[in-house]
Amino acid sequence: MEPVMASGPPNYKVILCGEYGVGKSSIFRRFMNDTFTMETGKKSTVGLDQSSQLFKINGMDVKMSLWDTGGMERMSFIGSSYYRGANAALLCYSVLNKDTFTILSQYILDIVMNAEGAKIFLCGNMADCDGDDKVTEADIENFIRECGDVLSGVYSISCKENEGVYDMFKDMARVLHEEAMGRMTLRKELHVIRPGETPEDTNHHKKKCCSS
Amino acid sequence: MDEEYDVIVLGTGLKECILSGLMSTDGKKVLHMDRNTYYGGESASLTPLSQLFDHFKQPAPVDDKYGRPRDWNVDLIPKFLMANGKLVQLLVYTGVTRYLEFKSLDGSFVRKTDGKLHKVPADEREALSSSLMGLFEKRRFKKLLSYCQSLDLDNPAAKNKDDKKIDPDNLDATQLYTEFGVDKNTQDFTGHAIALFLNDDYLHKNCKELIRRIQLYSGSLARYGKSPYLYPLYGLGELPQGFARLSAIYGGTYMLGKTVDELVMEDGKVVGVKSGGEVAKTKMVICDPSYVPHKVKKTGRVVRAICILKGKVEGVNNSESLQIIIPQNQVDRKNDIYICVLSNQQCVTAKGFYLGIVSTTVETSDPEGELQIGIDILNGKDKSNIAEKYVWYSLIITP
Ligand SMILES: Nc1nc2c(ncn2[C@@H]2O[C@H](COP(=O)(O)OP(=O)(O)O)[C@@H](O)[C@H]2O)c(=O)[nH]1
Ligand SMILES: [Mg+2]
Repeated sequence: MEPVMASGPPNYKVILCGEYGVGKSSIFRRFMNDTFTMETGKKSTVGLDQSSQLFKINGMDVKMSLWDTGGMERMSFIGSSYYRGANAALLCYSVLNKDTFTILSQYILDIVMNAEGAKIFLCGNMADCDGDDKVTEADIENFIRECGDVLSGVYSISCKENEGVYDMFKDMARVLHEEAMGRMTLRKELHVIRPGETPEDTNHHKKKCCSS
Repeated sequence: MDEEYDVIVLGTGLKECILSGLMSTDGKKVLHMDRNTYYGGESASLTPLSQLFDHFKQPAPVDDKYGRPRDWNVDLIPKFLMANGKLVQLLVYTGVTRYLEFKSLDGSFVRKTDGKLHKVPADEREALSSSLMGLFEKRRFKKLLSYCQSLDLDNPAAKNKDDKKIDPDNLDATQLYTEFGVDKNTQDFTGHAIALFLNDDYLHKNCKELIRRIQLYSGSLARYGKSPYLYPLYGLGELPQGFARLSAIYGGTYMLGKTVDELVMEDGKVVGVKSGGEVAKTKMVICDPSYVPHKVKKTGRVVRAICILKGKVEGVNNSESLQIIIPQNQVDRKNDIYICVLSNQQCVTAKGFYLGIVSTTVETSDPEGELQIGIDILNGKDKSNIAEKYVWYSLIITP
């Protein structure tokens, strides 16, 4: 789905995907207000929903809205609704835990099925940690090769040390925006309604309703 | 799972998800389970299209005969949301509207005895230009509408200025109609196509419910466009998911694909839910009827026909998504016949195809025949617009 341009800067929906405990909520928290918590389990996830930030790309304001999973992946499924209209998915794994990495191909299937056209980015978290069975650069290169050209960006970050997090988001915003600008001429607008939105936001929907 | 919860919810239908979401936001510790591996239970939207064929045990078409299979999100029981109605208010109040997108329907129509479809006039301007009534009747109807719209039901002291003599507290719906002198036809479509009463029981009840419903219809219409109805993009299955997300974000725990072995009872009170040999403790269980089959009774049957349409419905000003109501009196029945048509605008069909659903409460021994008048409307003059049609029944159950 295309971002709505009629009011304000273009907005790209980005969803977090990946196994429980890899640091998705930590990435979200860095994005939202640049904080970090060592709280484990549910406490680290509860309360996080959506957050939007502006990025300056080629002199233009670009908005990214990041969605966290609500921890639904812990013992269950996230549901197709989460994926709707996503412009990008950030596939997260923990470099300390190979299982969280090898399972990612399944997540890619979910994304391709439920969020058609979403760009997929790969993110290894916990780069600050050391372990015996770390995901290696060779593993990552293999994965990238297997995926073909499905991945639009590959990052390595540490939420704890706040390394690479901001740069990752900025790079994603750039990729999403440049790609969308390239398709500008093909853009079709979906005049959707969000009950409760202010009239300014919905004005353009109304006009369309009466004239079409 | 071996934990204690304030409440355990079984089933992820819309009602269960709303309750789960509200209780989580209220700070309760909620465990929410479903035997299926998807959200929504019976109300999950069927996708891709092959699921619809599977549901009716039919072979799915092999080629992409009906467009891209993934573009279909079929609701077997479509329900439209009133733009000003309770559910939409709840979506706004809880913030769940952030997770979903909606589209308004193109039109709302009513079928008259002459067999023609007419747009339902819902404001005074439309009333005056409507093809439904003669000149003088229009004026009477317009007066009724403006009376209803200007009345402040929450503030009974503030009676309508022009009509001090009308006291809604002491009138039933028939008496209200009589006050304005509107004829039987007008009563029919006001009560059924605007106030959406399914039968005529309301006529002998206090008129305030009628007035409230007329206000809801006009208020909803004024909101977004050509009809008062909204539909979630990708189907109704998005609604329970929205509330489930709300519940999860406030700390609710989700477990899908879990069969519930039994409700654990002690001294006639529920104390837990057993699943896969483990017991989750709780003092309160909320569940849909399918988890307690012996505790509900059947009170009626609804017959439905679900149709894949190759083109738009005729005689509805090119509307692609719409509701048509056939009031019971117009066809000598006791219950109305409803027709819903949905399109690619709602992201529930593939481009160029439409979904038509006809339904009514069963009154005779030939339920399918009871739908015929609606089927004919969908099929068009050439009787060729319906590409697939499946008829099915659902029970109306009450605790
Ligand atoms: N050492 C280290 N720990 C992290 C990092 N990112 C997250 N964590 C911790 O990993 C745990 C799980 O993180 P969380 O964000 O809840 O994962 P989620 O389940 O994917 O949302 C938490 O205890 C975090 O404090 C990191 O970069 N380095
Ligand atoms: Mg989390």
